[in-house]
Amino acid sequence: MGQVMFIVWRESVEALLVVGILHAWLANPDHGAKRGLPYLWAGVVLGIAAAVGLGAALVGFTEVLSGDAQDYFQTAMVLVACVLIVQMVFWMKRNGRTLKRDMESSLQKNHDQGTWWGVLVLVALAIAREGSETAIFLYGLGFGQGGSVPMSMWLAVAIGFALALVTFWLLQLGGKIFSWRLFFRVTEIMLLFLAAGLLESGLDRLISLELVPTLVDQLWDTSAILDDASPFGSLVATLTGYRAHPSGMNLLVYAVYWLFMWVLLKRAGAPSAKQVKPA
Amino acid sequence: MNQRIARLLATMAAVVVTLFGLGAAQTARADDLPTFKLEMNNGKLNPTRIEVPAGKRIKIEVHNTGTNAVEFESLQLRKEKVLAPGAQSFVVIAPLQPGEYKFFDDFHQQAQGVIVAK
Repeated sequence: MGQVMFIVWRESVEALLVVGILHAWLANPDHGAKRGLPYLWAGVVLGIAAAVGLGAALVGFTEVLSGDAQDYFQTAMVLVACVLIVQMVFWMKRNGRTLKRDMESSLQKNHDQGTWWGVLVLVALAIAREGSETAIFLYGLGFGQGGSVPMSMWLAVAIGFALALVTFWLLQLGGKIFSWRLFFRVTEIMLLFLAAGLLESGLDRLISLELVPTLVDQLWDTSAILDDASPFGSLVATLTGYRAHPSGMNLLVYAVYWLFMWVLLKRAGAPSAKQVKPA
Repeated sequence: MNQRIARLLATMAAVVVTLFGLGAAQTARADDLPTFKLEMNNGKLNPTRIEVPAGKRIKIEVHNTGTNAVEFESLQLRKEKVLAPGAQSFVVIAPLQPGEYKFFDDFHQQAQGVIVAK
């Protein structure tokens, strides 16, 4: 039961992190970005539908999706999600502060609509990915198989999801407790870490499919400090890209990613620092 | 931005198609590899220790004989595979250096196993 709760919470949190932060951003009254909210919710609906569909496909067509096909599909999915998160963070950074004014003059209407579609795709991908795993997991426990499911299982699912909603709510609260500026900085960094986690996971799959070399198979072993095969360690690995046994390529890509982000953040921060008066 | 997203989506589609093509090619190649069986059953692994030759590509056939879904996962081996109840699949593992490689069932995390390459 504790395990059902943990899995539902964990899978939901990974998706809700993306949804929650985007929602907090879009709903912030100072932004005037509320127009993006319908796209966000449409993405949620689409994502849930895709999750159930994907889950069913993985269960029903295990033969078709067995072996490497599943790997290739998942690889494409995590890498696309990674690109979309990074693109979204920087779009928000560039336009977040001036969004309201631009909206009012509606000069950038077309430009912005493009980004709302990006929001939709990103949210749908995040939910489809985590949701399909939850769907298979729950299916395996007897849900949707016509067999009776013990009440305690339903309760565990409900609690797990409730915990995820509390996490979501805390994210919404973030902007009320801290200044928006601090909230942005923190969530921006959280999202960039999450994207780094997706990037490393995509890279691992590419290495495992032998499309990318490892350079060095294992640089070091920190599994004694934090083991990525443990429940907590694997959560950290998903959310930050941590590896207990990194290959040379893992480290190289991780370093290049953060260097790239650092340069982009500096460039995105520089001009707006002049425009914006301290809040 | 619309165009950029359209381009992004087109690139994604191309990548997915290419990857599926490569996947088909690799699946065909995976047939004649040294193969080891792993049974996963509601949080139990059989065997929990798999000895494999080092420096050789190997294949592990994973069979979920339980009534729960399982997820074969190893960050060290860079593998992650979800299996519905009754499902059977395989993972192909690139040549390993001698050593121990942990794997576990991500849906039943008390189920920990190790692959030993010699």
